[in-house]
Amino acid sequence: MDEAGALARFAQRQPLGTAGAVIVVVLVGVAVFAPQLAPHGPKETGFAPYLPPSAQFPMGTDQIGRDVLSRVVWGARLSLYVGLTSVLIGVTLGALWGVVTAYVGGAPDSGSQRVVDSLMALPPIILALALMAALGQSVNNVVLALLLLLVPTAARTVRSVALSVKEFPFVEAALAAGCSHTRVIVRHILPNCLATYIVLVTTNVSYAIVVEASLSFIGAGAPPDEPSWGGMLTAGTQAIENAPWLVLFPGVAISLAVFGLNLLGDAIRDLADPRLRGGLG
Amino acid sequence: MKTRVRLIALLCAALAVPAAVTAQDRPRYGGVLNWFDYGDPGRLDVHAESPLVVQQATAGVYSGLLHWDPDDPSKIAGDLAERWTVSPDGKTYTFHLRKNVKWHDGQSFSSADVKASFDRLLNPEFKSPKCGAALKPLVASVEAVDASTVQFTLKAPVSYFPGAIASAWCRVAAKHILEKYGDLNRPEAQVGTGPFKFKKYDRGSVIEWEKTKDYFIPGLPYLDGVKQYILVGGPTQVAAAKAGRIMLWDAWPPMRKTQADEVKTARGDEVDIYRWPINTIFLLYMNSKRAPFDNPDMRRAVFLAIDRQELITKALEGAGVPCAILDPKLVGEFALPLEEVAKTPGCRQAKDTDLAEAEKLVKKHHPNGIDIEIAVRQVGNYVDRAQLVIAQLRKIGIRGTLKTHESAAGYASFGKGDFQMIATQDRAMDGIDPGDVFHVVYHTNAGSNYAQLSDPKADDLIDRAAKETNKNKRTQLYHELQRYILTSGTTGAVPVGWVEGFFFRDKKVRGYKPALTTYDGNTFMKTWLAP
Repeated sequence: MDEAGALARFAQRQPLGTAGAVIVVVLVGVAVFAPQLAPHGPKETGFAPYLPPSAQFPMGTDQIGRDVLSRVVWGARLSLYVGLTSVLIGVTLGALWGVVTAYVGGAPDSGSQRVVDSLMALPPIILALALMAALGQSVNNVVLALLLLLVPTAARTVRSVALSVKEFPFVEAALAAGCSHTRVIVRHILPNCLATYIVLVTTNVSYAIVVEASLSFIGAGAPPDEPSWGGMLTAGTQAIENAPWLVLFPGVAISLAVFGLNLLGDAIRDLADPRLRGGLG
Repeated sequence: MKTRVRLIALLCAALAVPAAVTAQDRPRYGGVLNWFDYGDPGRLDVHAESPLVVQQATAGVYSGLLHWDPDDPSKIAGDLAERWTVSPDGKTYTFHLRKNVKWHDGQSFSSADVKASFDRLLNPEFKSPKCGAALKPLVASVEAVDASTVQFTLKAPVSYFPGAIASAWCRVAAKHILEKYGDLNRPEAQVGTGPFKFKKYDRGSVIEWEKTKDYFIPGLPYLDGVKQYILVGGPTQVAAAKAGRIMLWDAWPPMRKTQADEVKTARGDEVDIYRWPINTIFLLYMNSKRAPFDNPDMRRAVFLAIDRQELITKALEGAGVPCAILDPKLVGEFALPLEEVAKTPGCRQAKDTDLAEAEKLVKKHHPNGIDIEIAVRQVGNYVDRAQLVIAQLRKIGIRGTLKTHESAAGYASFGKGDFQMIATQDRAMDGIDPGDVFHVVYHTNAGSNYAQLSDPKADDLIDRAAKETNKNKRTQLYHELQRYILTSGTTGAVPVGWVEGFFFRDKKVRGYKPALTTYDGNTFMKTWLAP
């Protein structure tokens, strides 16, 4: 009952965030139950090409006779896999990097920040493209490329929080009580950076989905036969006048996913920020 | 009175119409033809490379001894050779060269240049996948008799030799340029005797030629120059065609019907759209030197499983001739009748029997199926074709992962044999002889024998058919050869079908006739632009 009440309060205070949460839940549901929801295999080519949307194929068929609905459904799984995996690993590694270097301070901190500077100086999509060119096209390589984009950003952001947390008296007290540095980091600093971590995760999943779609759109992301929304857009542009449904449905899917994740991420950020918390509702 | 006025008006009109037609059809000087290449050639050595874009990039710069006549693309005509004679035994061809021909850098052309070019092409150490691969089995020696006479001695009399030497890949390069640069790869090495000088090459962007003022045919060319935009990918090419940025789409890749319809809708009566066979075969290659396709059973499994009809219907939107090694439309009776081809393993419909046998062959060697890497160049709609191939092979337990290559990198990789399977590769013929496809693809020494397969029986039939001068006997040999490849099913190069497609010409482009191969007709020596 309390949980239902909390949800109702959240919905009342954060209507947009609630809408985002609903979209994200639907997205996750589609991704998890893709095999049950998709009427056909995402790579099954047994149908006539360029069939317009109909009762049999609600989103039509593509240029080689695959069911677009099935590919959009399976595309949710690929997008979420890439988004969640890269963000959870990337932000976690970045957060650990930021917290540890902030706590250690001095030359190691300064040196590591120059590494972060050099990584952040490169335009993200160019860096990802270079990596994909070096590693080759595969879904897991997209995740690797995203990791390299996400780790420095997360390290820089979490470090800034950790720098202020480490100055708090409870840290000094813990050290005075004989706690080891590892214990101080794990038990006292990391938990106080958790809000920032959660905000980073929620806001970056949509970023990762967009980067994956962009890489696939320019032919450097997931292999072309994988049901990637970005890859579907690329293929669709070849027949945009004759078969607009080929770009419409994956385009809508990307927009909805990014929109939902951004709304949810913004709401969580607002809840985590005490300065904004009072102004809401 | 009224009748007289009407008669005079009719007479004026009657005179004016032919006068207008004459004025419109009289070649005009000036203007730049905007054309396109499907990819960036990178290297420009027309003797050493095989991608169409290399030939396109340099086509108007060089001349050959012979060429396919721009006025009648089915006939061979002299280019640098004014005339030629054949010895009674058919083994010696003597070419009498034009005099007073200059290279674009001002130096004089002579028989020494011809000898240097063909010695280079025929050098066993020099890898020349087009002209060299075609001529090496035929030519014993090349001699400069005097400054304006060259003699080719053949190993045996071969009826298609003039066609082979007229290939757009058998261009004559300057001896002094070959000595200076060692190869023809660099833009500065593009010194020819053709109607246009090589002006500019911006990597990935544009290639430009400009008119040669002292071209050896007086009065030609009409154009001031040609600009070739490097347009990668169907959407970019179609967008350029729709916007009027390019004036001629005559080379590979052809437009599919839906693309042609888009261009027609956008350009209306400004363009002529036509369907044309471009003498190009659509192949799937398996590397016979690497597992799993070093095993003939696995090659046969793929040969049986590939649904040629589906590939032609979907990837070419039906514009093609499935299964055939020779297309009757192009080579007439040398080709096996299509009704016979349609009954051969792998081609016959329905596919159930062939799929069952293919699956059995895969299971025999790989009970749990097998994962392979399937390579493809990212040009034309190759990626779509490759996805269809992957879906078809999945039915027999071959799980393919797609590996895409940039165009030039793909060729480099294929040439080194660095692949298991190439899902799709179109091979354009260099001429119009029925033997071309076998010399290009199926002979052990073929320039595009990416499968690296050596089949003595096929080689023997190919060589015998090439040398046969009796048409009926030659036809029989080619029929036997086609039956052998199509029924044994262990070839490393699966013939998916012959490619056709749609092309367009801006109505302002005149004096241009579509050639019988995609490599010919690209010098634009007689092309001009109407106002």
